[in-house]
Amino acid sequence: MFSLAEHRTERTRTVNASNPIPTDYDTFRASIREFLKVALTPELIRAGERTTSVFSDFEAGRQWQSILHAKGWGAPEWPMEHGGTGWDIQQRYIFLEECKLANAPNPVMMGIQMLGPMLMHFGTEAQKTQFLPGIISGDDVWCQGYSEPGSGSDLASLKTTADRDGEEYVVNGTKIWTSMAHHSNWIFCLVRTDKNVKPQAGISFLLIDMATPGITVAPFPSLDGEVEQCQVFFENVRVPVANLLGEENQGWTVAKYLLEFERGGQHFTIELKKQLGKLQRAMSNPNSRAIDDPTYAYRVAETEIDVMALEQTELRIKGSLSAGDNPGALSSLVKVSGTELGQRCAELLIEAAGQSAMPWQSDVLAPDYTGDTAAPAECVTTMAEYINSRATTIYGGTAEIQRGIIAKHVLGL
Amino acid sequence: MSAHMTEDQTLLQDAAERYLRDSYDFNQRRERIAGGVYSDPGQWQAFAEMGWLALPVLEEFGGLGMGTREMAILAELCGQFLVTEPLIDALAATHAIIGVSQQQESVLPRVAEGELIPVAAIDEADAASRLSPGTTLTQTDAGWHLSGAKHWISAGASATHLAVLAQGAEGLAWVLVPTAADGVECDTFPTHDGRGGMNCRFDLVLEADHILLQGQPASDALEAYRALAMTLSSAETLGATQAALDTTVDYTKQRVQFGQPLASFQALQHRMSNMLIQTELTRSLIYAACNASDSGHDNAARFARAAKVKATTVGRKVSQEAIQLHGGIATTDEYIVGHFFKRITALESWVCSKGEALKEFMALSPS
Repeated sequence: MFSLAEHRTERTRTVNASNPIPTDYDTFRASIREFLKVALTPELIRAGERTTSVFSDFEAGRQWQSILHAKGWGAPEWPMEHGGTGWDIQQRYIFLEECKLANAPNPVMMGIQMLGPMLMHFGTEAQKTQFLPGIISGDDVWCQGYSEPGSGSDLASLKTTADRDGEEYVVNGTKIWTSMAHHSNWIFCLVRTDKNVKPQAGISFLLIDMATPGITVAPFPSLDGEVEQCQVFFENVRVPVANLLGEENQGWTVAKYLLEFERGGQHFTIELKKQLGKLQRAMSNPNSRAIDDPTYAYRVAETEIDVMALEQTELRIKGSLSAGDNPGALSSLVKVSGTELGQRCAELLIEAAGQSAMPWQSDVLAPDYTGDTAAPAECVTTMAEYINSRATTIYGGTAEIQRGIIAKHVLGL
Repeated sequence: MSAHMTEDQTLLQDAAERYLRDSYDFNQRRERIAGGVYSDPGQWQAFAEMGWLALPVLEEFGGLGMGTREMAILAELCGQFLVTEPLIDALAATHAIIGVSQQQESVLPRVAEGELIPVAAIDEADAASRLSPGTTLTQTDAGWHLSGAKHWISAGASATHLAVLAQGAEGLAWVLVPTAADGVECDTFPTHDGRGGMNCRFDLVLEADHILLQGQPASDALEAYRALAMTLSSAETLGATQAALDTTVDYTKQRVQFGQPLASFQALQHRMSNMLIQTELTRSLIYAACNASDSGHDNAARFARAAKVKATTVGRKVSQEAIQLHGGIATTDEYIVGHFFKRITALESWVCSKGEALKEFMALSPS
């Protein structure tokens, strides 16, 4: 019979539960804090505070990206050769956490987070040289042209066509939910280059200059009254073949490569812990409906426990990423939990705010706004955040798509 | 997904899982329980030989000096294999109460060898008195008089000794009482999770060497016991929860209705995805609670409560869903999945309820 005593070796302690950061990261954290204290102007901080979705005020985000770039921190996740910082996974987490805690605005990240990794993996040397510097500096603003009016969750059914004509593709069709297209000078698009094969096999990945004739951008307001979303129309838009990323009809593979790696890098708990802080403050605010409400306190406590569980799960995934594993379908688990927990926090905050969240005052979101606010200071963004939280389980692969991925790839159903 | 196990932990888990898979058959277990045998002495001896009972015992007393994380590995497997012997009960009492007492030198080796099976006796008939016991310990000329009653001792029928929580002159006291001693009257009863529960009345005079702890050390041990027991019950719940999910996934892949496997229906797939998501989140939190405890982290007590709340919530939901997704077969005694459901339900209220854990979590501010 096996005896454990015979097999004992020196035991090593696993990472400390709630504070997994060894002390040598303290200096790093302090240096980030020091930088943020100097670099973040009051306007930038206000833009961060008044962010009600993944997008901050566009100009503030752009300004922040150029400050980060000047410091050499424009794209910490990228490899050193392309301008990355060489930080390890823990340092990158600390950086994100400190930026969030200091209320730094969010730059438009489609270029850095999404296109960049795909360019590095599938791009030609010429493409990397042409596009990567503009992405990291923030001089080029990229938007993502995937969804179409008829192709949401069933993305592979997309109908925008790119027909080869000599050394050019001629693009026709329309893209929707193109966030920030009205501020972008480039768009990366999935287009159909072969209609006679199964849908996924006939898609190509094109990089398109928004200044090309035949492109029309139609912005439209979201439920909160703000404009982040656009529909983009393509009418005989001529794109050089040199702007094809990967090979023709390989577009689905290019896009999928990103999806697998992207979701594992998401850190929902940084934002969720900030929201928990707001919930705690709501419970001690005499003007809040949460004051002296034990039922509210129980719900907040259960939410906090769920955030702790998600944080520990993110740490587990981070541990396996450090060990070189691909998080694969487990990133779907984090996406579903993180977004649904964010929605729960938003619901609790709107309940605490009550009618004081109702004033709709669009100008208050501008970073240079210093006038009066109709709502109490802590409730200025509450309603917009609640409204916008509904989109989080829709974009980036709906919660239903994520559950389908888990069913197929984890449970084998 | 990585669970950050050390090499020793992996060895322990692999060996324990292999043993239970080979030697803890569900159908044999069912027949044994039907025959009124809730705890198999042969199994307990095997646990002792494999070193499981020595896990929390300090090395100078012949043990392995291991921590919460290792005990949780066994607890999870107890849940997966529906172990009815009082393993987590004995581990928690050994580590948190006996292991910090003056009697550790004489008692711990006997526990490690499997000869002395200790279980904590805390609850009384009056729920309000659980943490301020009505059972009293009084010093008399003849010795120490223990008087009172303890109720709902899970698997008490399998214990040789009870660590009884009593009220003494200087606060709380823990007393080690052999269940067979004169002046101890025990009623045993079968429980829905296949164990032998027990109620005991005490009216006896004990020598001083039966007193494990008194005063502040006894109160500290109560907190340590409760935190450890919450963590281990969460881990056992997790093991049973994962097993209920696995059973459900396997079954829905095989069961054909409307001409196709149940697993092909999206409505069911998404429910099973939810079961997996919640089970994995719970796993992360329980392992963190173990690590917090083993590293002496300031938030360890809070993590234990959080683990108990999460495991209880998720265990209940997943095991209920497991029954629903199976259909009628899951409501029969001969099919395994309902037994996970019953053990999870029993663990929900062991040591404390979800609501009590939540209130304690809220009272402990984060540090």
